[in-house]
Amino acid sequence: MASVNSIYGLFPGPDSADRGVRALRAAGVAQEKILVMASEPFEEYSFTQAEHKTLMPWLAVAGGIAGGTCGYLLARLTQVAYPIAVGNMPRVSPFPTAIVTYELTMFGAVITTVITLIITARLLRKRPAPYDEAVSHGKILIGVVDPAENSRDAVESSLRQAGAEQIKSTS
Amino acid sequence: MPQQATHQWGMVIDLDRCTGCEACVVACHAENNISTVGEDQAARGRAKHWIRVERYFEGEFPDVKTKFMPVLCQQCDAAPCEPVCPTFASYHTIEGLNGQVYNRCIGTRYCANACPYNVRFFNWYNPQWDKPLNLQLNPDVSLREVGVMEKCTFCVQRIKAGEIQAEAEKRAVKDGEIQPACVQSCPTKAMVFGDLSDPDSEVSRLARGNRGTKLLGELGTMPKVTYLQKDSWHGSENA
Amino acid sequence: MAAKTPEQITEDLLRPLGNASGKYWTALAFFAGVVVSALCAFAWQVYAGIGVAGIRRPVFWGFYITNFVFWIGLSHAGTLISAILRLANATWRRPVTRCAEVITVFALSIGATFPIIHLGRPWLAFWLFPYPSERGIWPNIRSPLLWDFFAINTYLLGSVTFLVLPMIPDMALIRDRATGLRKKIYGIVALGWRGTPKQWHRLESAMQIMAVAVIPVAVSVHSIVSWDFAMAPVPAWHSTIFAPYFVCGAIFSGIAALIIAMALLRKFLHLEEYLLRMHFENLGKLLLVMSLLWFYFVFAERLTVWYGNDPSEMTVFWVTQTGSFSPLFWLMVVCNFVIPFPILAIKKLRTIAGCVIASIGVVIGMWLERYLIIVPSLSHKYLPYSFGSYRPTWVEITITCGTFAAMALLYMLFAKTVPIISIWELKSGPQTQSDHATALQPVPHAEGAD
Repeated sequence: MASVNSIYGLFPGPDSADRGVRALRAAGVAQEKILVMASEPFEEYSFTQAEHKTLMPWLAVAGGIAGGTCGYLLARLTQVAYPIAVGNMPRVSPFPTAIVTYELTMFGAVITTVITLIITARLLRKRPAPYDEAVSHGKILIGVVDPAENSRDAVESSLRQAGAEQIKSTS
Repeated sequence: MPQQATHQWGMVIDLDRCTGCEACVVACHAENNISTVGEDQAARGRAKHWIRVERYFEGEFPDVKTKFMPVLCQQCDAAPCEPVCPTFASYHTIEGLNGQVYNRCIGTRYCANACPYNVRFFNWYNPQWDKPLNLQLNPDVSLREVGVMEKCTFCVQRIKAGEIQAEAEKRAVKDGEIQPACVQSCPTKAMVFGDLSDPDSEVSRLARGNRGTKLLGELGTMPKVTYLQKDSWHGSENA
Repeated sequence: MAAKTPEQITEDLLRPLGNASGKYWTALAFFAGVVVSALCAFAWQVYAGIGVAGIRRPVFWGFYITNFVFWIGLSHAGTLISAILRLANATWRRPVTRCAEVITVFALSIGATFPIIHLGRPWLAFWLFPYPSERGIWPNIRSPLLWDFFAINTYLLGSVTFLVLPMIPDMALIRDRATGLRKKIYGIVALGWRGTPKQWHRLESAMQIMAVAVIPVAVSVHSIVSWDFAMAPVPAWHSTIFAPYFVCGAIFSGIAALIIAMALLRKFLHLEEYLLRMHFENLGKLLLVMSLLWFYFVFAERLTVWYGNDPSEMTVFWVTQTGSFSPLFWLMVVCNFVIPFPILAIKKLRTIAGCVIASIGVVIGMWLERYLIIVPSLSHKYLPYSFGSYRPTWVEITITCGTFAAMALLYMLFAKTVPIISIWELKSGPQTQSDHATALQPVPHAEGAD
């Protein structure tokens, strides 16, 4: 499916996948070049522990602050710009302003989270990425992206020794 | 452009003079282009009487006393109908009136629920006037379409006309010069209309008197209609 | 029953998709018919004038606002189950989350149509949106209806996000097994999901944030809906208890709706091995707690009114307690408390069927509760000369029936296009045990030489 240079093995389960990743690291493959794909998060296993850090919560807070500011400005500026007297209430009524500010804070936080997810998870990407449909059938894909030409055989044997059922390569 | 408020309109209704004749109701319909809704719709509670005369009976036959109370929009200074309108169709004018802007109304009917006096009326259908009654419509008052809320305006068209006339003649509005249709039609002169910000106007003097009460004043609506009665109504919540 | 492999789980949960029996199409056509007649009733109302509905002076709000509050309330199912249980790490939630989230999105969408349906001039509903209009005016943010606008939109965004994000890996699952047009469509919805650890981590982070964010939003939404009533000086509306009372009632009706939906799914999609008695029992216990909480709020409110002895409030009190609304009031108490309490409290009765019976009672009771909050108070405001009674017309009844049919219709369509149980979440959680099911035991991932 991809026109990316890679070689990968399909493993039947998380334990063998773990062994596969460790074999690749032992063979000297850099962490950023190791491909892992699975149909479940497998959070208890070490082969999924890469790239855990994320700024997403902070970005959500920032988005919330931005949203809240917009809400406050909307409430305040519209009430000041077009003042209309109602019910003996002040021109900028505090409770309604607070409510609108709060709602738009949450709105901002949610939108920011969605956008951050789409961008950092590289969803909606245009470039083709390595993938194999066997992943959806329960197989775990462990491989190397852009392997050096002379290391292809070494990679293949490491993966097979770790328990890969199939080795495929794409270029 | 901010204007200086020149008047604060208010009304006094003398319950000891009201005979319940309902001339005010008829005059209001005529002046303000209020359509009748027909017998069927009236039975379903759709009638629009911007001013209505409430009748309450006291005592048992044969010692029955009847009390009449004309109820119209109280033009409250702290009107509960105003903050709840999402489109500012109900708002407070600088002359102290509760303005109803028909063009802004989208018909949520929140204001009518919030009004403790039930003085707001809704156009459930497009109003109809059978010929030749359509010829009787007042050109100074706009017609309201379906889905729009309406209520007593203290005949704001007469107020505006009086103010414009006085300004053209380079004088102040005289006390008693502007009269809404109901005030004008009352045969016992039970209703008085005028400027509450002028301490010498008749309405101010009567409102200050010791017979004056406000309807549902305890709700904090600050109504501008003062009811005069010598004895408070025995055993009722009204004053 | 043998334990299931992950592959078997996937097969089971994908099997309902795309397969529709004759009974399904018949039911779908029936519900579609009811929805179409509701749309026709609304079109008639717009054409002829809102007078075709039964609302009148002084009961200016009737069935439509009842439905509005009811459906927004029902939408609190998903939030409770998904967000709170997710934050509490309750693993039994996993088969249940998507069913709940779907209820939220559809109920909210249905509820959000009513502020438009009940307008006198619905073609001008867009004036609620804050934009610099040529009329030189912005909306009045002092109005609780404007707070509704912001709150419901925020909640809609939040709950759609909450539903759609965890759907992405399952959409990828289907994309890989489909061909042709189906593959293309599911491929678009799956957004290029590949299942790398980075994507999984980001998704988890996003879901954690969403779980934290959507709970206060849900609480605020129904508080704001309650303030549509509490901000008006109407007897028995102007009460400080309304916000928590409504939130409690919302969660109450939401859990009941979820139990009913799960029972129907279990039966019609043959998910007996996934939606276990244990799930119904746990939800049933939550429903019991909410029933007690609901009763507590009603008791506290009525006690305060009774001691307050305000004449206008006491008029409304007596008219619901012993007067013309009392049959509906006591029916509501029976449906919301008297029936559910023993069924849900006694373990022997807390079967799936028992939970469903209790839930149906609660759904009816909560609809009545909304009606009884609105109509008796509006019928009896301060001036007795203006008291009035309300009777709905065929237009309102048709539209009400249309909403229930719309919910069923949307749910049925969803269940056939998206797996109603979140496959990856089910597989990835520690498998749940129960006294009945042997199905979801800890599944050894099918390994050869491990």
